[in-house]
Amino acid sequence: MSKSSLYSDAPILHVFLNDKSIRRESLPPDLYEQYLGGRGLGVKLLFDNLAPGTDALSPENLLVFAVGPSTATSVPTAGRFVVITKSPTTGTIFDSHAGGYFGAQLRHAGFAAVVFHGKADTPMYLWINDDNVEIREASKIWGKDTYATTDALLEETDSKAQVACIGPAGENLGLMAAIMTDKHRAAGRGGVGAVMGSKNLKAIVAKGTGEVGVHDPERLKVAVERARRLIKKNAVTDKSLPIYGTPVLVSVVNELGMLPTHNFQEGTFNDAEGVSGEKLLERFSAGTYHCHGCPIGCGRISLIQGKKVGGPEYESLWALGPQCGINDLEWIAIANDKCNLLGLDTISTGSTIGAAMELVEKGKLDAPLKFGDTSGLLDFIDDMAHMRGLGAKMSEGSKRLAERYGAPELAMQVKGLELPAYDPRGVQGHALGYATSNRGGCHLRSYLIGPEVLGFPVLVDRDRPDGKADLVMLYQDLSAAMDCMVVCRFTNFAWTVDDYAEMVSAGTGFELSGRDLLRLGERIYNLERLFNLREGFTAKDDTLPPRFFKPLPEGGSRKRIVHLDEMLPEYYLLRGWDNEGRPTNETLRKLDIPVS
Amino acid sequence: MDLTVEKLAKMIDHTVLKPETTQSKIKQLCDEAVIYDFAAVCINPVHAAYAAELLKDTSVKVCVVVGFPLGATTPEVKAFETKTVVSAGAHEVDMVMNIGAMRDENFDLVKHDIESVVSTSGDAHVKVILETGFFKDDQKRKACLICKEAGADFVKTSTGFGPMGATPHDVMLMRETVGPSMGVKAAGGIRSFKDAIRLVDAGADRLGTSAGVAIVEDFRWAQYSDSWMAPDKPCWTCPSRMANMAKQPKEVYMWYKERCLTCPDKVHNVFND
Repeated sequence: MSKSSLYSDAPILHVFLNDKSIRRESLPPDLYEQYLGGRGLGVKLLFDNLAPGTDALSPENLLVFAVGPSTATSVPTAGRFVVITKSPTTGTIFDSHAGGYFGAQLRHAGFAAVVFHGKADTPMYLWINDDNVEIREASKIWGKDTYATTDALLEETDSKAQVACIGPAGENLGLMAAIMTDKHRAAGRGGVGAVMGSKNLKAIVAKGTGEVGVHDPERLKVAVERARRLIKKNAVTDKSLPIYGTPVLVSVVNELGMLPTHNFQEGTFNDAEGVSGEKLLERFSAGTYHCHGCPIGCGRISLIQGKKVGGPEYESLWALGPQCGINDLEWIAIANDKCNLLGLDTISTGSTIGAAMELVEKGKLDAPLKFGDTSGLLDFIDDMAHMRGLGAKMSEGSKRLAERYGAPELAMQVKGLELPAYDPRGVQGHALGYATSNRGGCHLRSYLIGPEVLGFPVLVDRDRPDGKADLVMLYQDLSAAMDCMVVCRFTNFAWTVDDYAEMVSAGTGFELSGRDLLRLGERIYNLERLFNLREGFTAKDDTLPPRFFKPLPEGGSRKRIVHLDEMLPEYYLLRGWDNEGRPTNETLRKLDIPVS
Repeated sequence: MDLTVEKLAKMIDHTVLKPETTQSKIKQLCDEAVIYDFAAVCINPVHAAYAAELLKDTSVKVCVVVGFPLGATTPEVKAFETKTVVSAGAHEVDMVMNIGAMRDENFDLVKHDIESVVSTSGDAHVKVILETGFFKDDQKRKACLICKEAGADFVKTSTGFGPMGATPHDVMLMRETVGPSMGVKAAGGIRSFKDAIRLVDAGADRLGTSAGVAIVEDFRWAQYSDSWMAPDKPCWTCPSRMANMAKQPKEVYMWYKERCLTCPDKVHNVFND
């Protein structure tokens, strides 16, 4: 292996768990040019190689760990990795991302991606030590939590390696199982940990010492210097996030009456101040956490009962807090840590608990669950990971849980994925983003909280439905392209489309304008859409729970509803999709996607 | 106007006027002004010579405030301050009008105050800060006319330290009053490219802001969507929304608020938007 490898020269590592064989394949040049890497690479691999209707938890599903052409270069925040698979939670194609340091190690080891095929007959883990790759026995660590797993594997391999692993939730095929790295960074959403568990794959350990090359180092240096300067000039990336972390949003979102409370029954949490970023800083801050190559450092380290724990980050804090009516910040941090330990997605875990609480409140479910009451909740979380009692039912997520108890309308989800911490009634564009996300209820496919709430790059009226389809499409396409570089979403508070394009151009040698980069993102978004249509999704799935078409009773977003019927047709039109939400042949041709 | 990133940058006075400003901040300000080719840096007198040295041989002007931020010193002191900063290298002087005299309708004193600065400014352009938040519309118009008669080059909305920032309403009023031959500088509370464009559209030909870099950088997003400039709630840019009882004279505050009662956009006037 070259000691200064370009991403274009980095092989894709195919790991066949059935017979424990390994094969290296070159990154196909046309795939690289059209899909770049990261999410795009994984999506293309899945689209081409996964038969429609494949059971996500069957050996036939593919599990891709990918990095991008920016990974482990000087591009700020580019140490992340992305997991692409068919989600057992949503049935859609799914990409789930994590920070930490694992992605950089994988890239330094020389690989563009690792693709897992089949299923091992006994628990295994993959040890990537530069070019030496071994499938190793993991029976001894099967059953261990993510912290113990990480420690054991680092001891068994190399203390300088990085681990991405599952905990009990993934082993037990829980549909909200995450893949954890560096103990508290998570590729959390969509049950990607369950896919790993279904393959009897406990972990990947990676250590790389190779140099990472780029096409034009001098040009990239100039682009990166500018990118760093912009991060330093931006109030969110230079002040709010470093000082308070993502929990800075608690007060802001609550003030606007869109902090989901009691399973989205309300948008204002009376005790928001007690669970705010400001309070977290005052009461528990023990430091900040920077992922690889990140000048921002939004990660929180909290000192809880004498123990340093990661987080809680905004979404986790909300899900385990206001969503369940809980105002005990210390308990929230403990519950968050427990989710990390067990390998559970905090958003889906908290949101599903909130849904269960409402089911109890509405008399649909008989269980000791009550809004605002933490009694016994840690045991429920434990049960969700270990598939015990009601916890086993809850581990399937709010959609299946609410359907089981005859009240599907109480599940706050889209396409089976629990919604995150912004009530869509208060942000029309963000609502459209939820409804049209290719991976279900997700805030990161098109983070319109930037313009609609925080005013980046400019404040737009959060209540207006017109003009939002345009912005949602812009953000979805840009996010897809960023996910091919595999950089952090927070950079787009500070960088413009042109900055990403310049860094990609300098790094790869493809001369991309901002519009070219958006076109690349659009291609990925459409291919994902085709994948989902192939799986049976229709325009009917581009919707929101009925709750969001009734007004919030009070608070800063009172009287608002989501105007999806106004935005969705415009969105389809702009996307070049027909009335049923299907990309037209003309659109596909424009994007160089083969028309079947 | 077909506004480009470069044209927008050339309308910006890159501003730092906080009392705690250090030399390193002035250095950063000047470096950024050169990188982005802003019209000027706008600074306090104490930094004039240093900024002039940093910006010599560049197209970026040095703009220095005088009688700032209250405007409540005497014409003689403003004249002395002007002479000092011009000799230190200032190309432009932003003076604060005698606000109290204007409210007293002592128009001669207001005019004399401005003339004392104009007469000592040499080749430097003089901009007169009205501090619009202290006035009703009729008073703003009168103030503009006095500035014009006194020979000032620009009228300017605000200091950034007063009760209100720049609004399209005020800029439009000022432009209509002074006509095309004088400059109109909008300053105070300009945080985004949307703010900037609205003020330019209202008639401003110079923008004073400490967010110049963000405005120019964020303006690069404009090419990717027309939706950024979609109309906002009308109250967002209305001076009546910004009225502040604690900072304004009672009759001025009430004048602004009474406008809300008869405003055709009253339905939009909610405070959680």
